[in-house]
Amino acid sequence: MRHALRAPAYAGMVLVQAYRWTFGVLWGGSCKYHPSCSRYALDALRQYGLLRGSVLAGWRLLRCNPWSHGGVDYAQDQRLFR
Amino acid sequence: MILLSPLTPIEDVLRNVLDWLHGTVGLPWAWSIVALTVIVRLLLVPLTVRQIHSMQNLQRHAPQMKEIQKKYKTDKKKQQEELMKFYRENQINPAASCLPLLAQFPVFIALYFVLREFSKHPPGGDLSWLGHHFVPDITAHANAHWSGYLLLVIYVASQLVSTMLMSSTMDKSQRIMLMVLPVVFVTFLLNFPVGLVIYWVTTNLWTVGQGLITRRLMPKPAVPEKRSSRTPPKEDEAELVAEEPSKPAPAPKPPSQPRRVKRKKKARR
Repeated sequence: MRHALRAPAYAGMVLVQAYRWTFGVLWGGSCKYHPSCSRYALDALRQYGLLRGSVLAGWRLLRCNPWSHGGVDYAQDQRLFR
Repeated sequence: MILLSPLTPIEDVLRNVLDWLHGTVGLPWAWSIVALTVIVRLLLVPLTVRQIHSMQNLQRHAPQMKEIQKKYKTDKKKQQEELMKFYRENQINPAASCLPLLAQFPVFIALYFVLREFSKHPPGGDLSWLGHHFVPDITAHANAHWSGYLLLVIYVASQLVSTMLMSSTMDKSQRIMLMVLPVVFVTFLLNFPVGLVIYWVTTNLWTVGQGLITRRLMPKPAVPEKRSSRTPPKEDEAELVAEEPSKPAPAPKPPSQPRRVKRKKKARR
């Protein structure tokens, strides 16, 4: 039952993995954050499910812009959902 | 198709710009695609200028970063973490960030749909590129004519060069994947309209040019230059910005640590 409920999150993770193996590698695969945005998305989806995980990953992507400074930032350290 | 509806405004804008480039400016359709690509990349230049600044900053701190890399040579994860911390402490903006890359993604998809629409209802005007003998029809699939194959060869070459230029801090397995992936992509691209391949080639060539100019703009670290004619100029180009151990800058070690130890000893007494 728990696994069935997590199916949407797994579907999202498959999409992120597909990105990682195609465009992620093609675009240099380096991110200013540690872990990288796609790694963060995988962690967020696994730990917080499809909806909240997607929001967290989207917010991370927005932060990963040329005006931010990067740094160490794990999904479990997020402050959006408590 | 519902999933792609957010792209409709982008498609409309692209289509309008394309029509404007063809109708008002008077470019042939193929050159309109090239011009459209250049416009998109020009709009992204402010972002890349920021990145040039951060790359200069990176270069200035390269010796210290090298030291960190050496210190955590065995633990790659710890090394990366320490590097990221160092970036933050020194206000360094690592050159690569995800958002500018993703900005090209919807544009690429939207352009694909615009060109597909294009091939379904070919507008009036010249659909060839660089003469009818080279590319007869930019709406045809890339595998329909030998010029399509030539363009794909150029695509693979430009893709390899541009990724080599952009990715200075890559490990070997990633580099190998970079070599293999374009070849895999070509099998898909064979069924893409030639106009899309023209876009992809143009944007890659832009990336290569931008990479070369960026490297030129980078202030060379004050290394005592050898004025001998034997210094190969190629070596300079081959060197990668982030990996350049420009000066053996001896980082002054903070004297606070031994003092702290003394204090601890006092406290224990």
